[in-house]
Amino acid sequence: MTDPILSLADVHTHIGQHHILQGVSFDVMPGEATVLLGRNGAGKSTTLRTIMGLTPASRGDVKLAGQSIEGLKPHQIARLGVGFVPEDQAIMYNLTVEENFRLAMFREDERSWSRMETIFNLFPDLKRFWRSKAGVLSGGQKQMLAIARAFVCDHRVLLVDEPSKGLAPVVVKYLAESLDRIKDTTTLILVEQNFYLASVVGSAYFILDDGRVVHGGRMDDLVDDHETKQKYLGIA
Amino acid sequence: MTSAATTGGYETKDRISARALVGWIVGVGVWLLPLIWIDTTTYLILTVAGLTMGMLLFLTASGFTLIFGLMDVLNLAHGAFFAWGAYAGFSTLGLLNAIGWVETGTVSQSIYSLLIVLAVALAVGAILGLILEQVIIRGVYGDHLKQILITMGASLIMAEIIRVVWGPNDEVTLVPAALVGSWDFFDVVINKFRATSIIIGVGVFVVMQLVLKKTKLGIIVRGGVENREMVQAMGYNVQRIFTGVFCAGTAFAAMGGVMWSLFKEQIYPDMGSENLIFALIIVIVGGMGSVTGSFLGAIMVGLAFNYVAFLVPKLALGVNILLMAIILLIKPTGLLGQD
Amino acid sequence: MAELTPVQAERSREQRARFAGPAFLAQVLLLLALIVIPLLIPSFRVLDVLAKIIILTVAVASYDLILGYTGQLSLGHAMFFGFGAYSLALVTYHSGSPQLYHIPVAAGIAIALSVVSALVIAFFSLRVKAIFFAMMTLALAEFAHILAVQWYDLTLAADGVSFKLPGIFSVGWSAGKFLGVELNGRLVTYYFILISSVLLFAGLLRFVRSPVGRVLKSIRDNRQRAVALGFRTFRYETFSIVFGSTVASLAGILFAMWLRYVNPDSVMSLALMLNILLMVIIGGLGTMYGAIIGAAFLQIAETWLPDLQKLAVAFFPTNEIAQRLAERWILYFGIMFVLVVYFFPRGFVGTARQLVKRHKTAKKGIA
Repeated sequence: MTDPILSLADVHTHIGQHHILQGVSFDVMPGEATVLLGRNGAGKSTTLRTIMGLTPASRGDVKLAGQSIEGLKPHQIARLGVGFVPEDQAIMYNLTVEENFRLAMFREDERSWSRMETIFNLFPDLKRFWRSKAGVLSGGQKQMLAIARAFVCDHRVLLVDEPSKGLAPVVVKYLAESLDRIKDTTTLILVEQNFYLASVVGSAYFILDDGRVVHGGRMDDLVDDHETKQKYLGIA
Repeated sequence: MTSAATTGGYETKDRISARALVGWIVGVGVWLLPLIWIDTTTYLILTVAGLTMGMLLFLTASGFTLIFGLMDVLNLAHGAFFAWGAYAGFSTLGLLNAIGWVETGTVSQSIYSLLIVLAVALAVGAILGLILEQVIIRGVYGDHLKQILITMGASLIMAEIIRVVWGPNDEVTLVPAALVGSWDFFDVVINKFRATSIIIGVGVFVVMQLVLKKTKLGIIVRGGVENREMVQAMGYNVQRIFTGVFCAGTAFAAMGGVMWSLFKEQIYPDMGSENLIFALIIVIVGGMGSVTGSFLGAIMVGLAFNYVAFLVPKLALGVNILLMAIILLIKPTGLLGQD
Repeated sequence: MAELTPVQAERSREQRARFAGPAFLAQVLLLLALIVIPLLIPSFRVLDVLAKIIILTVAVASYDLILGYTGQLSLGHAMFFGFGAYSLALVTYHSGSPQLYHIPVAAGIAIALSVVSALVIAFFSLRVKAIFFAMMTLALAEFAHILAVQWYDLTLAADGVSFKLPGIFSVGWSAGKFLGVELNGRLVTYYFILISSVLLFAGLLRFVRSPVGRVLKSIRDNRQRAVALGFRTFRYETFSIVFGSTVASLAGILFAMWLRYVNPDSVMSLALMLNILLMVIIGGLGTMYGAIIGAAFLQIAETWLPDLQKLAVAFFPTNEIAQRLAERWILYFGIMFVLVVYFFPRGFVGTARQLVKRHKTAKKGIA
């Protein structure tokens, strides 16, 4: 029985006066993809942001490989090996694609650049627009850039918020493959509305509702559990 | 550094928009307009004066625009650093003069004096900036109104301390000997110091651009301007970089101040607030967060001020206000501003 | 009579509460004091301080309207004050002999000038973001100041304009003694200022309590929501800026009437703008009544601080730096300014209201 690489214990988060997370607890196992599911406003994105330290928890603890990271600044958490791809892509439009990648490489070394080879194979468009400002890319290409940027580093845990948003179905399939590839070295935590992507990539899941975890388990079981899916996700 | 795979493929170039082209043509036209009323030699002298003024104002404006662009902080105390640089330089020149380096100095002594004085100003600006940032600015991140009020108050305090330490009267600055006087180019008298200022100003601009565009730090800063959070999430201690940028900005303002004191050969405690007004106009015209914008804006303001000051002295500042208003009407975010 | 809707009931309750309770009593007492003190205490200094407090209250309250209620950071408010002051000064001065009708004429000029300038400013407030607006108004105000300083022919520049007041306001006028108090021009001027100021202040209060004022508050709190609700936010903001600026210029006229001397630094400078900012912050943004506290605080400090200073200076007759430290009361002003903004951003009245509200909700037992 391996130890969880990430665990949240009774995490509460407030944004202003709003009590968004009201006691979130779950464990994430290494080497697989865990998906956070739930309706809009349930607190999925906030959970990721709290883990990353961008929206600090007001109560509760977050542990990375047994070490408490609650209260650490985002850059410290990042340096401990946590990566983040936010919901709004956070692409720097005025920087070129190259500069966006260089920025993502905390240390510009051989390993990072050799990873670029793999990335170019997965996302050839990014090679074409290498010297162009990121702002000229199409919506789908920007999304690819956002995700590819995260691949350039060696993360222990990668938090991805709605990677399929705005992508055409065929691109989503492509994306699923890429995410699948890095699962061995990087533990994934996904927030995803697209159940297809969630079920293909994810091995474990947690359903959030009203700032709490209401259901959790193996993805294989959820796929057949129509009752739960209907109740919490509104899908058949 | 980059593997062969990364430089393949074609590149899309950003096209120069028709609008920008029209803007340039109009700009050049307006620049040459005063020739109608001023004779060529005077025009050239005024141009040099205008460029000098522009370059020195650029030093302050660039810091202000970077601080706002990167940290979203409105530092209305920026002008006070200008004044402090001037006064620190003044005292330093006094000391150097006592050992005969200034008024009676040789060429090399003059150059050393200038470099020493610039170094002192940069140091003073950076240290004061650090103090201000740690003590006051830290607490008001995110609240523009509070920032404006608090930095206005800080500016007042800084000006008053100048009055306490140096006295409330105007002072005359001593100019290093080799920088006094002019060169004569075919009847056009070019003041030595002004030429030096322009070279220094352009030099600072070039260095800034190189750092911003070619170094990793520059990428971090430019990325941070667009999305501070994401840069943090990538592992960079943005707070420390902020502080660094803040201090660099105030250091440059102080440098601008000491050079201005040599330009005008006079200093007074309130020189900071006047400088600030110009810096604000330049930053509005050039666009918040854009160093190139400040550069262009500074040149425009400097030239406009000098041409109009020659023709109709009372309207000199008014012309700049008008310029600001016109730019705001055409492009509310400034020439090269975003968002 | 039809039954009141909940909103109407709430509003009528609010109105009734306004004229009952301790706050109202305090206002009445204050007004009585302002009327009676000049008759009881013949000191000119006291009269001077009171008059200045009254006038500045109006100026600060009008700024509270623009900044506190509409959320527009205009740094040009002092300019409007100066417009009013200079209108009266120049009309009386250039005419040779002051007439009573000069006052309304000056008011007319001031109002016209203010409305036009305010409209220009309001127009730009739509086009640009908040910080640009602040900087732009600052630059504009500086420009006006420089014009006043340099346009000798019109404004007599830095020397300032010294003028006489007409008729019953003039210093020479006297109606003899009444109950032991001399009824002279000064006193008449004082009561004129008091009545005008009360009317202007009441006007401002009426404005912020009216439906227009309510919309302004909603704009200040959440502009997008106000727009989404269908309000033409720009119109309201323009209205508020024009009204506030005009009231400020009228306060400027009163100021000129009291001092009978106007110069750029006293009525149109950045220093005055900072004073107004400090007063409105000390009193409390968005409270209107805070203006009274803020104005009183600063005016009293400015009047009696120099005396304290002379005392302090006497302690260090030889040390020049210590002397300079004691003299530079603006330094302490600046420090106080920073401290107030940092620690008491809600100001006196604002913090008081917050405490009262908290006390009330605690009493009601709301979690």
